Amino acid sequence: MTTAAFRPKILAFLCNWCSYAGADLAGVSRIQYPSTIRVIRTMCSCRVNPQFVTKALLMGVDGVLVLGCHPGECHYIEGNMYTRRRVIALKRMLEVLGINPDRVRLEWVSASEGTRFADTVESFTATIRQLGPNPLRGG
Amino acid sequence: MRYGDTVRKTVQAMLEKGMVDEVLAFVRGVDERDVVPAFITDAAEAEKITVASYQPYSLASILADYGDKGKKIGLVVRSCDARGVIELAKRNQVNRDDIYLIGIECYGTVNPANAKEGEIYIFHDAMEVGGKKEALDESLLSANCRRCEYPVPGMADISCAIDGDGAIANTPKGEEMLAAANLKSQGSTVDASAMKERAARWQDKDFPNLGTDRQERLDYWLRQFDKCIKCYGCRNVCPLCYCKDCALDADRVWVERGRMPPPRLFHLTRLMHIADSCLNCGQCEAVCPMEIPLTRLYHQLHNELRSIFDYESGINIDDALPLGTFTEEEMKAGGVELG
Repeated sequence: MTTAAFRPKILAFLCNWCSYAGADLAGVSRIQYPSTIRVIRTMCSCRVNPQFVTKALLMGVDGVLVLGCHPGECHYIEGNMYTRRRVIALKRMLEVLGINPDRVRLEWVSASEGTRFADTVESFTATIRQLGPNPLRGG
Repeated sequence: MRYGDTVRKTVQAMLEKGMVDEVLAFVRGVDERDVVPAFITDAAEAEKITVASYQPYSLASILADYGDKGKKIGLVVRSCDARGVIELAKRNQVNRDDIYLIGIECYGTVNPANAKEGEIYIFHDAMEVGGKKEALDESLLSANCRRCEYPVPGMADISCAIDGDGAIANTPKGEEMLAAANLKSQGSTVDASAMKERAARWQDKDFPNLGTDRQERLDYWLRQFDKCIKCYGCRNVCPLCYCKDCALDADRVWVERGRMPPPRLFHLTRLMHIADSCLNCGQCEAVCPMEIPLTRLYHQLHNELRSIFDYESGINIDDALPLGTFTEEEMKAGGVELG
């Protein structure tokens, strides 16, 4: 598959309080961003069990984006602190296993950052385009 | 004199003086290549304890499954089991106050299935097979033991030498234990840095280089996972897999009943649950009927995480689990990496 024809499929986990609202703001502000993401809303970014991410990758998704509130701004005070450590560990696991850890990205997007949301999706899509299709696709 | 006399003497004294209600240790099984775990309550039976270099079960996991709650229990342990007990205590599975850890120095163990005829004792620079001293053959040792960085169980209450009467008290409890047995706390003469060197050498050899050849690594592990026959052996023997209600049980969320091989997620779930604390005890790999080199995977990831989170599993009971904690500084720091 050539890079030009490759349309990445990206799974995005958005936290209910910040990032989902940020995505909503991007929408109502009519900010353009690539239509590569499929969104799952979770109550907190720390609801994203590493199994969810691994399962998505095993099922052939090209990239997984996890978005949460900025540190210190979590609706549940400390949920995103656990997310941060978990995603770091998860990325090391993928590396040891032989999956490029750049296929998973954690970012903080607040409810007022519609532009930041769009930029994040855009740059992550570009990264995934560069990496090419998930080697596990169809496997 | 037999090897491990210090251990037997200590156990006997502790049982006689009522310091412990029972002692969990390996005793001789049907022949010299067989050891079985046993709870010993009678001081006269302390004689049966053996320190031959076999480790067919994790005593930490036997303690968690069968140890009587509320009783004072002594354990004759190698480093991996001592660390297992500490990790379990950290997770509130056992009460560290009730447990007396009698550590034995360990320079590697042998899988009885691959062992030569005769009882084996492994020393830091030699081995004894059926009473005859020989040069140490590292290829005989279990793969995880060759990578082990903890020859001396400094995290146990006392650490005893296999040969001779060296015994060191590591905790106040350990001093009481040695006093009960009328033993002096005196050091071992073994140079631990030689063991570190051996561990580093084998880790270099066993662990693939990260950052290159991802596809090759991925293909290798997927091939290994697809050999799995879902016997749940790795989960059942793992000292850290203590959940009564396991996410991997059939027809929960992740694993479908009656499908073979299980989804690759089966192994990745266990990896993710264990890796931050993996003890490199080697039980999962030893028990696997399909010979999947699981410990190598867990140990490599554990080493990676150990440096990131600055966490050494099973050493200090007060060190918080890396994935269940965070610091004040992290709360203030932006970015998605630590520090």
